[in-house]
Amino acid sequence: MKSQNRGQIRIIEAFLAALIIFSSFAVSSNLSVRQNVKKSEDLASIGLQTLVKLDSDGSLGKYIDCGNWTALRDALSIVLPAGICFNLTVYNDQMHQVNTAVISNGGFGSQQIAFVQYICASQSMVFRCYIIHLHLAVAT
Amino acid sequence: MPAISVDTFFACSLMVLLVLSAMASTSWLLYPHINNAVNDNIAERYGEISKYLLLNDGMPSNWGQNCQTIPDTFGLAKAGSNNAYELDIDKVSRLNSENLYAMSYAQIFTALKMPDVSFKIEIKPIFEVVINLTGTFKAANETIYQFEISTEKHGVPIQTELKCYVIAENYLETNLTYASDGRAYVNITLSNDVKGPALFVAFAKAVCNSKIVSFGVYNFAHNSGEPKPKRTFLRLSPLNYTLTASPIFSGTNLSKAYALTINYYSNLTQTVSDNQSVTYSLPHFLDSSSTLIVVTGWNSTTFFTEWTTYPQIPLQTGANFADSIILSNVFTNTYTVMINSVLYECSVWLGGPRE
Repeated sequence: MKSQNRGQIRIIEAFLAALIIFSSFAVSSNLSVRQNVKKSEDLASIGLQTLVKLDSDGSLGKYIDCGNWTALRDALSIVLPAGICFNLTVYNDQMHQVNTAVISNGGFGSQQIAFVQYICASQSMVFRCYIIHLHLAVAT
Repeated sequence: MPAISVDTFFACSLMVLLVLSAMASTSWLLYPHINNAVNDNIAERYGEISKYLLLNDGMPSNWGQNCQTIPDTFGLAKAGSNNAYELDIDKVSRLNSENLYAMSYAQIFTALKMPDVSFKIEIKPIFEVVINLTGTFKAANETIYQFEISTEKHGVPIQTELKCYVIAENYLETNLTYASDGRAYVNITLSNDVKGPALFVAFAKAVCNSKIVSFGVYNFAHNSGEPKPKRTFLRLSPLNYTLTASPIFSGTNLSKAYALTINYYSNLTQTVSDNQSVTYSLPHFLDSSSTLIVVTGWNSTTFFTEWTTYPQIPLQTGANFADSIILSNVFTNTYTVMINSVLYECSVWLGGPRE
């Protein structure tokens, strides 16, 4: 009986081996995640640099103080490289949304979305601090 | 043949088949990831190098101002600046081959101290100003020229405020201000007594942000033959707020020189003049704008207008990667940089041998 089952055990071994091999494929497929993270980091770097440049002379705070959301959207559209979609939300220090209009240049079709958080201090007479959340994606 | 042997043979064959297919599939699946991992490391390295170029001021830190200085280490940042990605006006100007004191690719390559990295740097305004002459209407005493000015970025129109200048022989018209939603038509009236060719200059400032500025220049015939291409008569080299004008032909006489920005303009006066060149002192304008420099003069009986900008942008310097993409790993990084309170787009291409 035992000698008759030996071949069947080999088949079970073969299927176990196949199981291990295909599980290794599943693990290796996660390697692609690192690449996506890298691209998101690049996008986030571009977004942060754009916000820093707009804030370098206090323009960013002025847009928010004045509620000039159109100008803020236009400035981001011009300064960001072509082919990047953005969506920006401004919060006050209580994390209540400040912008009353959507600050965006289109829908996000990409799966890679970068997120940038930036703290902007208004340079007006009354000190105000804003928290800016900028989402970026490559247009598809 | 006993059943056990058939089972064993079948199981062994299945295992061999599985192992072989697994080896093939694994190499097929992992190859792009391994390749990407290598590329990621290279891209990361090149990204850091491009940041280094724009965030460091080089050695000596004022190498841009002195036309004789070749830097020991290369960097374009403005010395002592508190802002990241703020570049030095003179270091940038010395990258432009139009400048008499431009650094050669070999000099930059040596100062970069990275023998396995070749590079190309491009700096240009954030948006384009395109000028077209759309109509000419001649009258007895004057001629009206109609220009179409487009302000756009990659085809997307940009709302701007325009400031236009017209320059001809002993003639400077300055008070031309317009609003544009991406396209504007400007009429220029020139007396037929004015001698050309004339130069039409348009500065455009984005409505949404005063640091986003660009310009366009259009040379057109007026009471003259067709204008010659740029740098036919003069080589203009601004550096350290001094303009050096070097005539190409002997017997060239320079008449008037102007420095123009969006809000200000100035007549330039000669400080030094010899057989080789004429120098002018450039004013420090408190204006978020490139300075456009125009020099007029005569070459025997031909009147000319030559122009350049300070900083000398747009510029492109470095290796030509167009034909070597297959042989090299080439990565591009684009940054928004600031020079004299104006934002520009800076792209850095870095490449090396494919591994």
